[in-house]
Formats: sequence, structure tokens, C-alpha cells
Amino acid sequence: MGQLRPLSLLICALLSLGAGVAQAQAVNAAPPARRTITVDERLATAAGLAVGDLVTVTTVAGTVGDSVRIAAITRRGADPSEVARSEFRVRLHLEHLQTITRSGDRVGRFAVQSRTNGANAPALSRGVSLPVSPGVSAASVAADINATAFGFRAYPAVEVAVETSATFRVVNRFHRAIGIITIVASAIFLLCITLLKVDERRRDIGALRLLGVSRRSVVRAVVLESSLVALVGSGMGAGFGWAASAIVNWYYQGFYDTPLRFAMVTPGIVAFAVTLSLVLGVVSGYLAAQRLVRTAPLELVGR
Amino acid sequence: MILRLALATLTRRRARTALTTAGVAVATAMLLDMVMLGSGMRESFRGFIEQQGFQLRITPRGTMPFDTEATVGGGAALVVALQGDPDVVRVAPIIGTKGFVTRAGTDSVIGAFLLGLDPTVQGDYILAEGRDVAAPDEMVVNAAWLASTGYAVGDTVALAAGYEPQVRRLRGIKTVRIVGRGRFVMLAGGDRAAALPIATVQAIGGEERRDRVSVVLVATRTGADVEAVRARIERADPRLSALSTTAALRFVDERLSYFRQLAFILASVSLAVGFLLVTTLVTVSVNERIGEIAVMRAIGVARWRIVAQVMIEGVALSAVGAILGLGLGLVTARWLNGILATFPGLPAAFDFFLFEPSAAFRSLGMIVLCGIAAGVWPAWRAATLPIARTLREEAVA
Repeated sequence: MGQLRPLSLLICALLSLGAGVAQAQAVNAAPPARRTITVDERLATAAGLAVGDLVTVTTVAGTVGDSVRIAAITRRGADPSEVARSEFRVRLHLEHLQTITRSGDRVGRFAVQSRTNGANAPALSRGVSLPVSPGVSAASVAADINATAFGFRAYPAVEVAVETSATFRVVNRFHRAIGIITIVASAIFLLCITLLKVDERRRDIGALRLLGVSRRSVVRAVVLESSLVALVGSGMGAGFGWAASAIVNWYYQGFYDTPLRFAMVTPGIVAFAVTLSLVLGVVSGYLAAQRLVRTAPLELVGR
Repeated sequence: MILRLALATLTRRRARTALTTAGVAVATAMLLDMVMLGSGMRESFRGFIEQQGFQLRITPRGTMPFDTEATVGGGAALVVALQGDPDVVRVAPIIGTKGFVTRAGTDSVIGAFLLGLDPTVQGDYILAEGRDVAAPDEMVVNAAWLASTGYAVGDTVALAAGYEPQVRRLRGIKTVRIVGRGRFVMLAGGDRAAALPIATVQAIGGEERRDRVSVVLVATRTGADVEAVRARIERADPRLSALSTTAALRFVDERLSYFRQLAFILASVSLAVGFLLVTTLVTVSVNERIGEIAVMRAIGVARWRIVAQVMIEGVALSAVGAILGLGLGLVTARWLNGILATFPGLPAAFDFFLFEPSAAFRSLGMIVLCGIAAGVWPAWRAATLPIARTLREEAVA
């Protein structure tokens, strides 16, 4: 604490207007004796920093910089666009960063929050803040800004989120494709197993048919059996999936140092898996049973 | 005779044999895809790096090539210093920045990645049309740049180093001629790019870019210890990080480790599914023919013949399924590669699924080994049947 540590930082931190302006105003009202910064947990761990430490920030390694105090250590949010990037992050007051980077009054982007549509508020890539009336959608505000101003572009926050999660959308499409292949493999596997199980009981079924049990009853019994197997299997699969997702989250959250959840077993996914499994069970049972009931009973018992 | 018996058993129940073969084929396809995925990314990236012909990449300390906008000053002196190393045979300084042009026939401004390099030693693009840069006012662009700007090879354009959007003013303008179209190997498909001599890019960038470089590529002499050269460069100038091909591959491995892990898990699952399918089928098949096997043993057929027959069934199922699966795997790999090709920021020609004959043989070998392993237990069971009791039970049944 209080020890001056040289810390050369390549500052490419993104500053949001909300935090930036609020902090800048506070600074204007009562300028602190020494400027403060926040560093993320990853940097604090890597450089052995703690709240209250004095560090030097500079844009060029090895040059004289600005001595600042660490005011807080922050934890990153669950942002998919940052998950694979292992860079450090430092937050400074907006005008402080502008001063040390000699960028004058320039800004990278603005975030504009509306009173009613906070989640969909437009973000401007460059430009000025505009008041957003209550009840007005972020998309229409963004469209108005883009139609009347130039030199910057406004995007609804949702659009920005979609754009920055492009990596995850590709991964999602890849997972779906793998899912389709897995479903095909499962269908073949289930059909094969059902066929084998039914074939194994040719004599039993032949005897039942000779005793007068109808074809329909045999088909129903086989379909019921394969459906039950599929249902129990999918239940076990859901449990296995839940355990696997817990392991995946535990591993990748640690690996990427993020609170992001990588795998989720939702009721919708469980319902889809159970339904699909049930349909496959019914279809495979029906097909296997049909093959059997079309064969003469005497042939089934081996005569 | 053993072979004929095994084949007769398999063809007796055609539907189940066909289904099992299909199951093994899907498992093999998945296995092949995952083996290709596991090694494809690394080999594809290695191809890109080695294609450039440089073993070291020098960047501002703590950064990766073009990962940030950081540059190093004193580029000319740095190049001279690097050329002075006895193990260095070629040095290619590069500056990466943004360049702007006005779209042909309109007043809209288009931004693109601008690469300043030495055309005589560059490894960043492959010329596809026209000729290479030979003068300070000539540039090579990619197809995306031409499509966005509406210009063609041979046109003359006003290239700017900066753009003030509020006042719609271009700054650092230089008139240059497009002399060629190239494929920029390290850029994503839709990225617009242009390459000019490094001195031109530094000059139009003004004071901000004067004598600065983003990356310096270094080729070492054959037989030189690249790691030693790397260490020497980092020791000599603390502003620099030197990245060897091995370290670059390690970095890519780290960033794309998720896919390798996924590939490993899915490949293991595929093998397990293939193994279970063949084991189940062969076991059921043996159970069905238990009387037949007991008779064969009773009339003097040797145990090893029974074992061989059962194992041939497993191997035949696996081999046929594996061969079908190889074709299916190539088709699905193409499909999956098409999906992952849209991964943001990756070079357009980057292959996640790189076909290598060794990968195909490895997959084939693993599935056939699975088939052999799958036949072991049912074969042993068939060969060790108590003959008299089995015959009696079968007769009663």
C-alpha cells in the first residue's frame, strides 16, 4: 500500500459515457489530490496490485507517466465478445485518459440511456448525447440520429450486443450442426437396439401370436416398451447433461476467468430432448414391431 | 470357410446389419471430422505462417501482431539493427493502419486496412491480377476493397491516411494507382485491404506514423537457432516482443483450445458409440447362434475358428462402416467448415477441418480396432461354451 509501482499500460480501455461523464463531473466539482483508476481482477492478480497502491500510467512503455492511485479492483461482466481475449483492463476518468493519450476532446463512443428503454438504449459510435423521450423505442431514436447527423452512427444496444457476440453465434450454429449429426447417430443407434431387442424375442412373440394375441397388441406392447426405454434413457440423459454442463461451466469459467455460463440445461432443452427421444422410441419400436408381426408366427418360433 | 460363415451370419439379418453399418459409418464420420478439427486449425495456421517464409515476428512489447494499434518508433534503425544479426537473412518491416478513399462516383468514404510494407520481401499477399507494387505511388488491393469502392485495377485514386467525419474531411491525401489485385492471406474474407510501400504509408500518416512500424518479420538462416535469435532481439531492445512460429502456434492453440477439447470429447463419444453398436450386434448374434456354435464345437471345430469367425463379424461391420463413414465424414466436414468459416476475424482461407490422409487412416484404424475389441468378449464366450449343456438346453428350447 502506498508503494509507487511502475506500471506501463497500453491504454485501450473503452469508456462508457454514463460512467465517464458522471466521474468527470465529480472530478470537475472537487478535483482529487491524486487521480484514481480501477483495474480488473486479472491485472491485479498478475501484477500483484491492491486497492490504494500507487502506480504509474503511461501510453508508451518506459516513459515518464502519471502517478495514480488504484481506487477499486473490478470484476468483468459476462461479455461473450471478451471471453477469449486475455487482455488487461484499466478504467480512467474520461478527461484523464484524453489528457494522457493527447486525444483532446475526442471520444470513442457514447452510450445514451432512455428513461423507459434502458436495455435498448442506442449507443453512438461517435457524437453527442441526445435526450430520449419516454416511450420512444431505441431503434427509432437511433434511426433519427442517423438521418439527421453525420460523422457518427447510432446503434440500439441490442444490435451492438448481437454484433459483439458474432463469435458465439458461429459457435452456436456449429453446435446445432453437431447436434443434428448426434441426433442422426442416436436415431440409428436406437433403431438398431430396438430391432435387436425385438428380434431377440422372436420366439416369445411367435408364441403369443399362436396363442391368439392380436398383431395390434404385439405392436402396442413393443412400442410401449421402446417408448419407456426412450423415456427412462432421456431422463438419465437430462441428468447426465446437467452434470456435464456443470463441469463445462466450472472448467471454462476458470479457464477464461469469466462469470459467463457456457452451457445451460433449460426446461425447453430438456423438453425438446425428451420429446425427440420419445418420438424416436415410438418410431423405432413401431418399425421393429411391424417387421415382426408381418412374419408368420410359426416362422417366428422356428418351424 | 470361416469367412463364408461370418458373412452368412451378417447377411442373414440384413436390416440389422445395415443399421449397424450405418451407425458405425456415422460414428466414423464424426470421428474423422473431430480428428480433422483437432489438427486442422493448427496445421492450417502453420501453413499461413510458414507460407510467409519468416520465422520471427517482432512487435511492440506485450502485443500480438496487429492485435492492437501499437507501433514502434525508429523503424529504419530497428531494421538495420536486425539485419546486423549474423543469423538473420531477411527483414520485412510492416506498418498497419487505416486508409480511406471516396467511393467511385459518390462522396461516401470507405475505410480499409492499409498495409505499408516492402514489396520485395513481403509475405502478406499473393498477387492474383495485375503486377506488384514497384513505385511509391502504386498499391495492390484485395477483391473486397475493389467491390466496396467501385474502382478497378489500373485506376488512380486519392488515398487518405485519416478522415474527420464531423467535417467530412480527408487528411494525408496521396494520389496512387491500383496496379494489382492480391489475396491477403491473413485477413478475413470480407475485410478490405490495400498494400503500399511502407515509406508511402509512413509519409501520408504525418508525424504520427513517421518511421514507425507495427510488425517486423524476420527470416533466419537455415540451421539457425530461432529461439536464440528471438532471445537476442528481446534482450537488445526492451520495447520489443519477438514471437517465434512455435509461440504463435501455441497462442492460436490457446485461443482455439475450446475446439480441440470439443473435438477430443466428441471423438471419444463417437468411438464409444461405434464400439457399443458392434459389441451389441455381435453379442446378440452369438446369443442367437448359441446352439449352432455348440454343434460346431461338438463336431470338432476348433475354438480358434469360432473366435476368428465371431471376430471377423465385428471387424467386417466396422471396416465397411468405416469406409462409408470416411466419405460421409468428408461431406460433413465441408458443411461444418462452411459454418466455422464465418468465424469473425479469421483469415478467409483458414480451414478448421483440414483433410490429411494420416487423419483418415487414423480414424479408420481406430474404428477397426474398436471392431476387433468389440468382438473379443462375445468371441470368447462363444468359444468357451459348455458344449453338452448348451446342446441340451437348446434341444429343450
